Amino acid sequence: MSDSIVPVKEIEEKMDTDKMWVIMGPQHPFSHGLWTLKVQLDGEIVTDAEPIVGYLHRGWEKETESREYPKIIPMADRLCYCASMTYTHLYCMTVEKALGIDIPEKAKYIRMVADEVCRIQSHLMWLAAVGTDLGSYTVFLWSMREREFFLDLNVKLCGARMTTNYPRIGGVRNDTTELFDRDILRAVDRFEKALWDIIALIDDSSIFVSRMKGISFINRETAANIGLTGPAMRGCGVDFDIRRDDPYDNYDKVDFEVPVLKAGDSYSRYMIRIEEMFQSCEIIRQGVAKIKALGKNAPYRVKTPSKVPAGTAFARLEDPRGESLMYLVADGTDRPYRLKVRSPIFTNVSSARLQSVGVRIADVPAVLAQIDMCLGETDR
Amino acid sequence: MGELLDWINFGSDPMANAYYPFDSYNLPFDIGYQLWEILGGTIAWLIDLIFPGNSVSTWLMCDAVSTLLALVVFMLLIFLVAFVSTLIVLWEERKCLGRMMDRRGTMVGMKGFLQCVADGLKTFQKENVVPAKVDKMTYMWTVSLVIGVSVLVLCMVPLSSRWFVVDYDTGLLIIMAFFALAPFFILVSGWAQNNKYSLIGGMRAAELMISYEVPMLILICTTALMAGSFNINDIVYAQADSVWYIVPQILGAITFFTCAVAEAERVPFDIAEAEAELVEGWQTEYAGMKWGLVMLADYMRGSVSCSMFVILYLGGWTLPFIGDGPIPEIVFLLKAYVVFFFMSLIRAATGRVRTDQILNLGWKVFMPLSVFNLVIVLLLMTGGVI
Amino acid sequence: MAIRYLDKYPKNLAKSLWVMKPTIVVLKLFIKNIFHRPVTVLYPYEKEWIPDNYRGRPGLRFDKCVGCGMCVRACPTACIKLIEVEDDNGKAVMRPQVNVGRCAMCGYCAEYCPVDAMTVTPEYELAEYSRYDLLYGPRRLHYEGTTEGMEVKCEVTLPSDIANGNPERRVSLFDLDRPELIDKKCIGCKKCAKVCPVNAIEMVEKGVNDKGRPILRPVIDNVKCISCRNCVIDCPKDALEIKEVL
Repeated sequence: MSDSIVPVKEIEEKMDTDKMWVIMGPQHPFSHGLWTLKVQLDGEIVTDAEPIVGYLHRGWEKETESREYPKIIPMADRLCYCASMTYTHLYCMTVEKALGIDIPEKAKYIRMVADEVCRIQSHLMWLAAVGTDLGSYTVFLWSMREREFFLDLNVKLCGARMTTNYPRIGGVRNDTTELFDRDILRAVDRFEKALWDIIALIDDSSIFVSRMKGISFINRETAANIGLTGPAMRGCGVDFDIRRDDPYDNYDKVDFEVPVLKAGDSYSRYMIRIEEMFQSCEIIRQGVAKIKALGKNAPYRVKTPSKVPAGTAFARLEDPRGESLMYLVADGTDRPYRLKVRSPIFTNVSSARLQSVGVRIADVPAVLAQIDMCLGETDR
Repeated sequence: MGELLDWINFGSDPMANAYYPFDSYNLPFDIGYQLWEILGGTIAWLIDLIFPGNSVSTWLMCDAVSTLLALVVFMLLIFLVAFVSTLIVLWEERKCLGRMMDRRGTMVGMKGFLQCVADGLKTFQKENVVPAKVDKMTYMWTVSLVIGVSVLVLCMVPLSSRWFVVDYDTGLLIIMAFFALAPFFILVSGWAQNNKYSLIGGMRAAELMISYEVPMLILICTTALMAGSFNINDIVYAQADSVWYIVPQILGAITFFTCAVAEAERVPFDIAEAEAELVEGWQTEYAGMKWGLVMLADYMRGSVSCSMFVILYLGGWTLPFIGDGPIPEIVFLLKAYVVFFFMSLIRAATGRVRTDQILNLGWKVFMPLSVFNLVIVLLLMTGGVI
Repeated sequence: MAIRYLDKYPKNLAKSLWVMKPTIVVLKLFIKNIFHRPVTVLYPYEKEWIPDNYRGRPGLRFDKCVGCGMCVRACPTACIKLIEVEDDNGKAVMRPQVNVGRCAMCGYCAEYCPVDAMTVTPEYELAEYSRYDLLYGPRRLHYEGTTEGMEVKCEVTLPSDIANGNPERRVSLFDLDRPELIDKKCIGCKKCAKVCPVNAIEMVEKGVNDKGRPILRPVIDNVKCISCRNCVIDCPKDALEIKEVL
């Protein structure tokens, strides 16, 4: 009698149910760029995951060693296609620190405004990615539409849409163009209205909220320990923003809030970024007013020596994705001896396993979209 | 020429034919019959011209043969109308979605309608790729069946009391049965493709089916209960006599609409082909014309979903205070397009749900709602309101 | 500044069990777009407005160019090359040739051109059938309708000026730096005079050496000099160096 009844557990063992490894990427709709996520599936639930990056390694750091300082600026543009100005800005800041020079106020404000424009662009790109990952093409297109207006601002400011090549060592390439103040304020006002529409599309829809809320928790300590930075970290409750806590340029002269949420789930990381876009709009408004107050004839670029004195310097700034840092070792020539880039995504993507274990495979894109992958800077 | 007109008895009543296959007047058969009269009459006249006095010509024009060949024309006609209406649905979605997303939609010829034709031609020209390690027989058969069943069910939907293929008393049930058949083939196809994404996609199709199928059938039965028949004609005219069933069954209509979206595997319930995580879901390994037809089949199912909604809740081809009207087929199709517009709207406004969410939704929301709807209908009927 | 979005959201989930609001938002846009046109720009037929300083392919004003090679040295992708062509008078001159296939459209050539001969142009439709067609010779680089805005000025303010309390003064980068001779190293080979594109260097005799031969030393005309550094680079004994004014 007892032989005929086989316990369920034993049946499962006899059935030999394997866990399945699914390799998502490097060419997969969910991987925004060339990277791979290996996920181990038990049915639909992810039990293990492993991110693989490095497909886009171009030897960026080595390449810089054979170039003069100004020629690295267009290369720095290519580090990140979503927010190209931030890396150029960072590079120029690093060299300026090594040179020990101070740049004019106007350049600082222009860089700040341009940085925030780039932050909005980058966040809109991320929002578009979240939209497609959650299955809504409308969010994608609406975000991209808004991004277009900010790319137009880039064109008006420096003549190119994405690879801006705008900051220079010692200032910026050119002064703001004639109607730039008016255009940028119009674009920002327009954008805020449109952003509420996109928010209504996502936050008022139970489908989006229920797919992001309450999954892939990271607690405060873990977030700090694994080195998450940027919105991902602030969504986990760590209250740190370089713009406020270690201000560079003129961020200490403008008034803005740093949003922090304690929940630590996918949704809170989403909300942080949305709020950051509104704060960026505020910074742009204040920055534009300050640029106007400085007058038309204020200097925007100082002359710098072509050779950097031997020594080291590092600068860091708040990238749209986190904390990016450049470390320069100069040896007195007109080329850097070593230039190291610390990319926020390279660290953030290491949390892919932490974030995706336990969620369903349907949520893997939605969760990992919150990392906001950008492979240019990750693989360098 | 007089001889030719002798052979063509154009305008003859098909119902007078002893082998007339339907119980009531059928417009497409009538058209098919007349077309065959012209075509067959000409052929018979030609044969008679070459071999005078032969028996083939008379055989061609006899009642049985002309009915049979008229049926062939009739089938072509039914399919063509259904096919073109599907293409219009496709075009409508592309245009409407485009406007909703602040873009223009398709632009090629005739306000973008010819884009459908261009897409069809393009997929036709593609190479027929069969991956090396698939189970070839099931791989081919399942996709053929998915497409075939979709075409079949599309053709089975009557456009009016005179435009139908079969006029069974259980017509509604047959349509729903064929409609619910595709997920089985999708499951097998997902396995046959030897691809992990397809496998998960196939599983999801099955998961999806068990969540919406039961409430959907309950809703259909509720409507049938109200009309007192499973015959589509009866349901439609019952609504024309009283009110459109969307009025008493508003809850049921909303639930049915959601289930119909799931049945057509459209956003937000397109989890079987969730492109974000599963590349293309169960269609991953299908390329070229197979993929094109699968996409077309998707829209056919969407079109059928809308037609079913129109039949069950919007009074089919009748209009209030007018009744049948001169061209009920157009009325029916227009109503279906309006319903499909709302499907596009939902698609533009929402994202994709998760598998566990659709299961929860199916069993914890749709199921009670449909039962509640049934209770309301029962109360109304026992109260004598309807 | 106030937190604006986080004050309103997240809303109560039970309320947002609906998809009603998104549907209405989408419907609104749909109705708006029936009467207005969507934001799409039908690209090949319509084109967006682009400003003067738009960075398309480089352009060259042949007559203004002096063939100094600043663009060649400033180019980060090494796509510019000086080639010998005939000018309008039939004289052989050196002018830049741009391989647009390699060009990164960074605008450095226009920025670093001391005589503003190189410009940016708003021309961005550059597809060709072969790679050879992508080579833009000096004549082909000419762009009709070059305006003032297409010359990228390289204006800088000197740190010393700012320190002196005269911050508004902006000068071109090429008016400042001048090569300076280290007399000990110079051997009087006249190479600098040969490579100078604007003939700013004149070899002047300065006495006689031990063997009785004249000692030649370059004298640089600071007005003519465009700070192109050709002489500095080509000097075989590193006797010339740029003196950077800061």
